[in-house]
Amino acid sequence: MEAIDLAEARDRELVQGIRRRDEEAFRGLFGRYAPSARSLAMRVVRQSHLAEEIVQEAFMALWRNPAAYDDQRGSVKSWLMGMVHHRAVDLVRREESYRRRAERSAQQETDREMDPADEVVEQIGLPEERRRVRAALDELPEAQRDVLERMYFDGMSQTQIAEATGLPLGTVKSRTLLGMRRLRSALIQEEP
Amino acid sequence: MTRDHAVIEELLAIRSLGGLDGDDVERLERELAAHGDCEECRRLTDEYAETAGRLGFALDPTPVDLEQANEILRRATHPATQDAAPPPSVLPTDELGARRSRRGRMWPALVVAAAVVVLVISAVAILGPGRSTEVTVSTSQTVVGFTGDTGELAMAYEPGRPGALFVGSGFPDPGSDKVYAIWMLQGSTAVSGGCVRPHDGSIVAFVDADLADADRMAVTVEPSSCPSQPTSAPVLISDPLVA
Repeated sequence: MEAIDLAEARDRELVQGIRRRDEEAFRGLFGRYAPSARSLAMRVVRQSHLAEEIVQEAFMALWRNPAAYDDQRGSVKSWLMGMVHHRAVDLVRREESYRRRAERSAQQETDREMDPADEVVEQIGLPEERRRVRAALDELPEAQRDVLERMYFDGMSQTQIAEATGLPLGTVKSRTLLGMRRLRSALIQEEP
Repeated sequence: MTRDHAVIEELLAIRSLGGLDGDDVERLERELAAHGDCEECRRLTDEYAETAGRLGFALDPTPVDLEQANEILRRATHPATQDAAPPPSVLPTDELGARRSRRGRMWPALVVAAAVVVLVISAVAILGPGRSTEVTVSTSQTVVGFTGDTGELAMAYEPGRPGALFVGSGFPDPGSDKVYAIWMLQGSTAVSGGCVRPHDGSIVAFVDADLADADRMAVTVEPSSCPSQPTSAPVLISDPLVA
């Protein structure tokens, strides 16, 4: 994780700006990552207003304490998405009923319509990131991918996955490890 | 001497995805503690966290209103405890019902007859023995209790007039980044009544809001930003309000 690309360098500059209380830097990072963060939160909690709150909470935490980001430990984008994911998983773990409600209403739920002028989907650098991550996931054996997706995108614990799939807990664990090893190799150890 | 990181690596990989639970949570902590100042442990921790964080980019992005960034900055700069015009939102009413059904204690609703005499009552009646806070409640006001899993809370209000006084005790500290949020429930929607933090477990707060359309009140634990919509299930729900 030593080498950083231009997009990451820009992200770190924005975080530095936020440390100087530069609101434009904050808006820049928000515009860049809030759309992906919102998708991730939505995927886990399945309710748009909760996803929105989670994203706002994560970015509020960033604004209030940008020093929490340690550039020696990873990328800005991964750190931000980690904050969002942790909050989303924490929420569904505390309130499993949210999931049941959401599944019932999933067909009815639609994101609110917005003026296109207000919409922000800044894509600089992100289509390539999306392609890489999807390709890495596609390369996984289906059994490993299924466990990883349940755990990460559906917010299920290892025990819940074992119960839902009928797999021994040890198998869930080993598939998770093997899948994550492959992803780690594809996404960080072989970064251009 | 090279230490074996097989167990730590497996548990870290699972934790990075949010999937660690049960005894394995403590097991990982024990393993990490046993390794002490372990460079390999840090490397594995960071690399799996980095890998997991990247997975979110597999999803198609969702359009986001840039004004939200300005709203965050406004809230950070002016941390209000009450949103000016919170939009209504859906509260998890089935969760309300579930919690109500499993409640063990019920606060008796005290409906006081209208009168012109102002009665000063000792908060002992509300806060329990050993408390000495005095609260003034007009006999033209109605007092309703809350039931739930956290603390004891009662609310006094005058039907047809805005404003309500909340008095409670036994509230655990919600954490440095959390507050208790008060909601007015109107059917399946919730309207923010503001947020409060307990002092020594007690809450005394006046909410200057119109209760005319509210059926019940509820309390949730929320981030200290005091969101305009509930993000968690209620810890307390009031008895029905009198119109």
